[in-house]
Amino acid sequence: MIKDITIGQYFPMNSPIHRLDPRTKLLFATVYIVMTFVSNNFVGLLFCFITACIVIAVSKIPVKTVLKGLRPILLIVIITSLLQIAYVKTGIVLVDVWRIKITSGGILMAVFMTVRIALLIVMSTMLTYTTSPTSLTNGLDRIFAPLKKIGIDFHTVTMIMTIALRFIPTLIEEVDKIMNAQKSRGANFDNGNIIKRAKALIPLFIPLLFNSIRRAYELANAMTCRCYNGGKGKTTMNALKMKKGDYFAVIISAAFVAGVILLNIYCGEYNAEFTFNAAV
Amino acid sequence: MAESIIEFNNVTFRYESDEEGVTLPPAVSDFSLKIYEGEFVAVLGHNGSGKSTLAKLANGLLLPESGTVTVSGMDTKDEEKDIEIKQTVGVVFQNPDNQIVATIVEEDVAFGPENLGIEPSEIRRRVDDSLKIVGMYKYRRHEPHKLSGGQKQRVAIAGIIAMEPRCIILDEPTAMLDPVGRRDVMKAIKRLNKELNITVVYITHYMEEACEADRIVVMDDARLLMDGTPREVFSNTEKIRSIGLDVPQTCSLAEMLRKDGIRLKNDLLSIDELVENIDDILKG
Repeated sequence: MIKDITIGQYFPMNSPIHRLDPRTKLLFATVYIVMTFVSNNFVGLLFCFITACIVIAVSKIPVKTVLKGLRPILLIVIITSLLQIAYVKTGIVLVDVWRIKITSGGILMAVFMTVRIALLIVMSTMLTYTTSPTSLTNGLDRIFAPLKKIGIDFHTVTMIMTIALRFIPTLIEEVDKIMNAQKSRGANFDNGNIIKRAKALIPLFIPLLFNSIRRAYELANAMTCRCYNGGKGKTTMNALKMKKGDYFAVIISAAFVAGVILLNIYCGEYNAEFTFNAAV
Repeated sequence: MAESIIEFNNVTFRYESDEEGVTLPPAVSDFSLKIYEGEFVAVLGHNGSGKSTLAKLANGLLLPESGTVTVSGMDTKDEEKDIEIKQTVGVVFQNPDNQIVATIVEEDVAFGPENLGIEPSEIRRRVDDSLKIVGMYKYRRHEPHKLSGGQKQRVAIAGIIAMEPRCIILDEPTAMLDPVGRRDVMKAIKRLNKELNITVVYITHYMEEACEADRIVVMDDARLLMDGTPREVFSNTEKIRSIGLDVPQTCSLAEMLRKDGIRLKNDLLSIDELVENIDDILKG
């Protein structure tokens, strides 16, 4: 059950996108997500969609895998769509029964929002699919390093992230072990109503918490033994370096931004009634 | 005699009790010991004899209540020398899972040198060399949680070697491993001692492993009980048994044979020695 979580998963492959600097990928993903929200018409969204398709094709990640990442957001998509249909009252009235009034504008808006959310999720999963957690935290560490000057020590945050990522598989294994140990003592995790099941989890979480604290102590000792002092004067073995491909990717990001803005200007009016503005 | 690297001088240490007003008995009491450069010392003792505390005292993780611990002349209480002490004396603990920091083997090994602020190219060299010594080089791009216990422990050892310490203390590094993992770890440790001339302090309760050392220190009830070569220590089977420890199987067998009137030598350790001795007696 826990093993199904795909968020933050990494698919090691040898593609130009995998080889990019994590900072470039972070930049592009951020720009992309912002631009899907800036884009206010279907042509712009189509442009974003095509861009996403190109990214997926270049990354060599199977389309099926990418779509699997969309499953967890199904519920959010449905709720947003229903809200859009309920509140947007522009365009031709399609259904008008009792208090329910569905309009063409509402439906188009729902489709618009669904595509927008899907693209947002696809691009953020593409980021984690193509970037190893370590290089991602390395990238974040470097991007936010200047914050140290104003007193925010981002290194601590990235260290916590690294340790969390490192211990997730260890703790999953431990949950399995404790669960089996408790089952062999007669614990029942699978039956009963929701309250009973929640209560059954207590003998699982108490030992897990206890062990995690013990682990934390031991890890702290081990880190002290390896001269860790909060990242002061720390160097990195694999120093990040912007390569040719990275500069190319930055140019593409800029072109993408320009494309979306131009499409907004030239096609924006064309579909005005379905736009985000119409919703407000 | 070689120069000493770690010196315990009349060290006493006690842990603080969780309850207020309760003083625990000392974990290490009036303990003096010198570890010399290049030695391979095994520390034996049953649970709670204070041997793990010794490891933590040796590199300043714990500070003595009274007495001093010095690492090549530096007092562990001297805060300015803290990093230098920890770089000189590395400690490997029992549970490999709780020592690995990074999500990729080579990045974990790089953690120590990175903290020391060493040049990236030099870190690369140290990481590659350390992984080769423990025989984990081909796993350098792997994720630690997919390795076996013995492999993880060797990665943890590599992480310490990469700091280029002069002494490594291993606190029961094989206690959680299967026999194969135990053998591989032991092999790696012996290489460190023989090829890199790193001083090794090996805390264990496996007698067979202790036999590999140059010198054995036996602890009992927070104190030093015996100190000598494996031959000297294990020839005194009575004393070893009296504190609840076992002797190696060869010693045990030789002892039983001696009791039956067979006049075997007193200091037999390896199977070969025993066989040879019995052979000699049979030939008359």
